[in-house]
Amino acid sequence: MEIFIAQLLNGLSLGSIYVLLVTGFNLMVLVARIVQFAYPHFVVLSIYACWEVLQLTNNMFLAVLSCIAVSVILNVLSEPIFRRLTNRQDVDINASFVVSMAIALVITDIMSHSINHGFPIAFPTSWIGGNLVRFGLITLSKGQIYALVGGIIAVLIFFYLLYQTKQGRVFRAMAENRYAARLIGIPIVKASIFSYVIAGLLGGFIAILFSILLGSASPWLGEFIALKVIAVSIVAGLGNLKGGLVCGLLLGVVEAMAMGYISGSWSNAIAFIIMLLIILIKPQGLFGVKI
Amino acid sequence: MSLLLYYFLAFSAVNIFMCWTIYLPYRVGQLHFLTVACMAITAYFGGFAAREWDWPFALVLIVGIGIGAFVAFIPSLAIGKAPCFSVVIVGLTHIFIVKTVIENWDLVGGTVGFFGIPPVEYLLPITYLLLIIVGFFIYRIEHSRLGRAASVVFVDKDVATTLGVNIKSLGMFYQIIAGAIGGMAGVLYAFLIGSLFPEFFTFHVIGALMCMLFVGGHTTMWGVVISAPILGGLPLLLPSTVASWRQVIYGVLLILIILLRPEGLITRRMLSSLKRKNKW
Repeated sequence: MEIFIAQLLNGLSLGSIYVLLVTGFNLMVLVARIVQFAYPHFVVLSIYACWEVLQLTNNMFLAVLSCIAVSVILNVLSEPIFRRLTNRQDVDINASFVVSMAIALVITDIMSHSINHGFPIAFPTSWIGGNLVRFGLITLSKGQIYALVGGIIAVLIFFYLLYQTKQGRVFRAMAENRYAARLIGIPIVKASIFSYVIAGLLGGFIAILFSILLGSASPWLGEFIALKVIAVSIVAGLGNLKGGLVCGLLLGVVEAMAMGYISGSWSNAIAFIIMLLIILIKPQGLFGVKI
Repeated sequence: MSLLLYYFLAFSAVNIFMCWTIYLPYRVGQLHFLTVACMAITAYFGGFAAREWDWPFALVLIVGIGIGAFVAFIPSLAIGKAPCFSVVIVGLTHIFIVKTVIENWDLVGGTVGFFGIPPVEYLLPITYLLLIIVGFFIYRIEHSRLGRAASVVFVDKDVATTLGVNIKSLGMFYQIIAGAIGGMAGVLYAFLIGSLFPEFFTFHVIGALMCMLFVGGHTTMWGVVISAPILGGLPLLLPSTVASWRQVIYGVLLILIILLRPEGLITRRMLSSLKRKNKW
């Protein structure tokens, strides 16, 4: 029972990060009309930036700042490329996926060549923090608590922005009908760029939580997370924010449970098999496609 | 024949086969990466059957094609007309699951790799003969009702349905054919190279294949015939320091081609005008 509770808490922390990732990914699907496969790669590159700054300055505040800045800059820099695609009549949403795959390839290769000689990076214990609570077999680390609490707060802020603010209404209008939104005077290019900034901020925050929770990163982490994020997004229904919230949390819990009871590399395979079966049964996703 | 030329010819042929396996389902708008999983399964099966059970190459090839088609057939029942990204995820998850199984299965060498696949005489000429046969087969499909139906589905699914095209059956057909060719490519790869490593069947292979397909041109089967040898052979010809950055080269090329020439270098329109000029 103690293992179950420990893995449940672990799963919820991991799941809350997946929720954030899927939310950022879906925001771009809905508002910018792109399938941004490289979004998790930007997150991983931000983790690397955070690590580099930490190595150079040993200043946590600067590390956090650089992490968020790199994520925002990368997302905003990719905007003109995708805008050029979405403006063309002869190019569909599949093209955005292909281009983002190419960006992902470039980022992964650069990380595997240039940073830390391609070796995985490890964060110092001062960054990760030790165990905070221990009762019986259950041990909660600082990373788990930060990920869980941070994840919940970020999701609440994001959903507040989306459903309670004027900018949120703009995003939702664009998600419903881009052309109608333009007709009623919404500056869609400006709003689209703003969605990249929001996704970048979210990405930077995710990078910080990931670095604290995992304590390490490798160049291939992006591919691995990207696969999960897109799979969760498809399982939930592409562009379905609420579905992504439920499925992201579920993935975290399933993965943690599998990790607790099944050996190493098989635990990820179990999560993928479950997602594969759901997609095969319901290719449109559990909660319905929103684009 | 020098080793470099041998590898260039071997990789070029396998790359063309694999590009065609992605090209065919993309005719109906589906990015079907499941064929890479088919390739991995049949490569390991072929290597194992030849080394441990002494199966002759011809038998391994036939069974490999069957396995590839079967592996593609089962999911195609569900994703025959699924949205593109569902098909993408089905393919990617298959690759991940197959790779995990291979890495954890000591019988096929696990993470260390699988070695000692017996060589086959005249394999390279046989491979190119098969390439011509498969190319002719795809050419016939392209110029049949199936090919024209696929073109309509790619442009507009609603119009295709109105014209009486069964999108699911067509999608299944292309996915199964692609799986069979992927199965064939897997067996050929195993015998041509002689050793197998699970790291080969990853996202990087997909990236390289996508680059070859989209740079060559995804609207015609001929694009990859030119792009696969050039882009696939590039790492063999370049100095190792530059070649190690090939993923960056592929990535940048892919971005540029989609932005500047979305249909790729060789397009259907270009071939039609060539035919008209030369009165073929």
